[in-house]
Amino acid sequence: MKKLLITVAALSLFAASYASANQMNTGCGVGTLIFQDTKDQSTLIQVLAMTTNGTFMNTFGVTTGTSECKQPSKVVQHERLNEFVQANLDELARDISAGKGETLSTVAELMGVPAGDRDAFNSKLQANFHQIFPAPGVEYAHVVDTIVSVSNQG
Amino acid sequence: MRRRGARPFFFFPLLLPLLLLLLLPPSPAWPGTDGYLAELKETAAHRLLQNDRYWDILLFYKPAAGGRKSLVDDPKFFLAPGGKRDPGAELSATLDAMFDDSLSPPARCRFPARYEWLQETLPIDPVRLPAPECPMLDNSLHAINPKSASLIFASGHMNAPASMFGHTFLRLDGDYESPLLSYAVNYAATINRKDNGIAYAFKGIFGYYPGYYSILPYYVKVREYASMEQRDLWEYRTNLTETEVRRMALHILEMQGIYSDYYFLDENCSYDLLFLLEAARPSVTLTDRHKGFFVTPIETLRSVLAEGLIDNVVFRPSTARTIQHKAEEAGEAEVGLAKSLASGDVAPSTVVEGPLPPQDKAGVLDLASDFTHYLYLKREIPKDLYQGRYLGILAARSTVAGHPPESRPLPVPAPPESGHLVSRASLAGGARDGQSFLEIAYRPAYHSLEDPVEGFNDGSQIVFGEAAVRWYPGDEKVRLQRLDLIDIVSLAPRDALFRPVSWKVQTGFATQDFPGGVESLVYVLNPGGGFAWKVSPLGIVSLLAETDLEVSGRYDHSFAFGMGGSAGIARQVSDRWGVLGQARYIYGVLGDREQGRRFTASLKAPVRLSRNRSLVLEGEHVEGPSVHVGTIRITWNAYF
Repeated sequence: MKKLLITVAALSLFAASYASANQMNTGCGVGTLIFQDTKDQSTLIQVLAMTTNGTFMNTFGVTTGTSECKQPSKVVQHERLNEFVQANLDELARDISAGKGETLSTVAELMGVPAGDRDAFNSKLQANFHQIFPAPGVEYAHVVDTIVSVSNQG
Repeated sequence: MRRRGARPFFFFPLLLPLLLLLLLPPSPAWPGTDGYLAELKETAAHRLLQNDRYWDILLFYKPAAGGRKSLVDDPKFFLAPGGKRDPGAELSATLDAMFDDSLSPPARCRFPARYEWLQETLPIDPVRLPAPECPMLDNSLHAINPKSASLIFASGHMNAPASMFGHTFLRLDGDYESPLLSYAVNYAATINRKDNGIAYAFKGIFGYYPGYYSILPYYVKVREYASMEQRDLWEYRTNLTETEVRRMALHILEMQGIYSDYYFLDENCSYDLLFLLEAARPSVTLTDRHKGFFVTPIETLRSVLAEGLIDNVVFRPSTARTIQHKAEEAGEAEVGLAKSLASGDVAPSTVVEGPLPPQDKAGVLDLASDFTHYLYLKREIPKDLYQGRYLGILAARSTVAGHPPESRPLPVPAPPESGHLVSRASLAGGARDGQSFLEIAYRPAYHSLEDPVEGFNDGSQIVFGEAAVRWYPGDEKVRLQRLDLIDIVSLAPRDALFRPVSWKVQTGFATQDFPGGVESLVYVLNPGGGFAWKVSPLGIVSLLAETDLEVSGRYDHSFAFGMGGSAGIARQVSDRWGVLGQARYIYGVLGDREQGRRFTASLKAPVRLSRNRSLVLEGEHVEGPSVHVGTIRITWNAYF
């Protein structure tokens, strides 16, 4: 936990000069994608930015942070897993519904599911899709907690 | 300066090799550090370490008038006041800083790559100069856990020829199996949101934007490129060892928050990454391979390949490409059904309870969810509608077992490095109205529809600064035939799911025919927009509405403005040759309306001779008021 605090503190320092650029998250549920705000950019600028690889944000984001959303239960204090699930909620939902995919296998890896148990893990999650994603506004904390409890069921 | 180093010496004398002790010169300051600092500086000066290649790499020094100059512009990066231009003073100041306890964070933590190199090279005895704790650095290193590295190439967007130059960034891979958990290292200009296009171009070209390195989770970059911009990613796995990658990571960490003036054309995203790779393995020559005014990501990728740094490559298709492949695998009716699900016209339960076999149900629902997500990313459906619709489709999908059958894997396009080189020189011979001519042309960049398509996006063209000079031996005339400032074409086929707009913009000087067989150079601005479709066997069929402005003293009122359109076909018949046909009509609207009216028909057959050689056979006919001119031409192109 101390390490985590130091990391978070360090990163907030690095990010301080790019404070505005770091306000990327627009909520906590499905559809919480990181959109760059393009309202005040002309199409020309966007085309030019694509050509010349300019960017509106530059940051040392070694961790992305999940502090603004509800946290999972104490059982699941795995910062990497939490971050990943929060940032990839839509892709994870898609993979769980289909029972396979890169995002789902990444979650399995973060949870330490052995290679031999992955198929069973995937099927269990697929069968419990409704519990894991009960409603559009579902928060990642619920998703993580439910994935953990579902995967621990016989 | 406080003396340090004494305590560990007295506490752990037995840990020191006896030999080392004997070699240490007696000094009045011993075992204090002032004497040690002087000693290290002397060693460094004696061995001319300030001229060492690695010092040049770490400090971005390049030869400049009167010596060497760093490409870094941030004063924070230099410990000596004149460090940007004085490698020796910078080295000496770096050693001073290593002995300065008052610095926060300590110099070793702020510049870990410099420290480790000096420590190994001089070497610095950790007992006489104990290394301070660096908790932030250790935590960053722990989180990144660099074990191996990949060079990532983002190819051009299908419908944005301007992105054809591509983009490169690095990926630091740790112990995780999933590359999504790796970290991407990117170098980019930080641009001002308030700048307009002209300010942007000016500042970008002349180095008024600061360039910074950044580190972000790779999944963020995958989303940015593959999902939001619809660009394919090529992941080139390097053979850098763990030691080399760690060295590179230390250097990246010491570059955080340090800016260099960013020049779009040369000191850009791809060029600056080469310094990082040289920091990892100094025996390779990368930055010195690029001395031109224009460094493109694809050229830097070629350098990295030429230095043997790459072991293998993995292709990560864009979301649009994945969706297109799934649509090709599914039947026409299934694609229609998926589209209706995404638009909300059909409820997912209809599919689940419907008559389709389970595999096809899975296929329809997978395609529908991908497409819904795509529409949301394109902001074609609002978030609240998207959330419900997307989860509804996924919930239905979770009740269907199995996966859609895949008759063939997603076709992997030719890798970017397989494309022709981007500068082009041409020799042509032909006849205009029975009068023979010879022509030479040069184009600095980049790709046109008649060039070999391998490694490029089909239907995309971007040409900068092509100049052609023509000579008529008959009357000994030599004239500038054409100077294209910019000539962009984007033909993006529409299909059941994707509805892109095709467009073109061309501006520059071109030779126009006037009555009485007169030819004259006119300034042209010709934009257009419309649609394209893939129609077998014609290839890409396009219909564009166009306007055409031409300025020349030969026109009444000195200009002709017309409106009209063009119809074209572009077909790649085989790897070796293709056909490009176009018919275009412009009707005079303003200025010299009479001369502005023109009909042009052309047919070209590009033949690929090898990767960097091609032939183009073409015929063109121009018909206007009192102008009837036919031209045939054969062109030999060399790419370099």
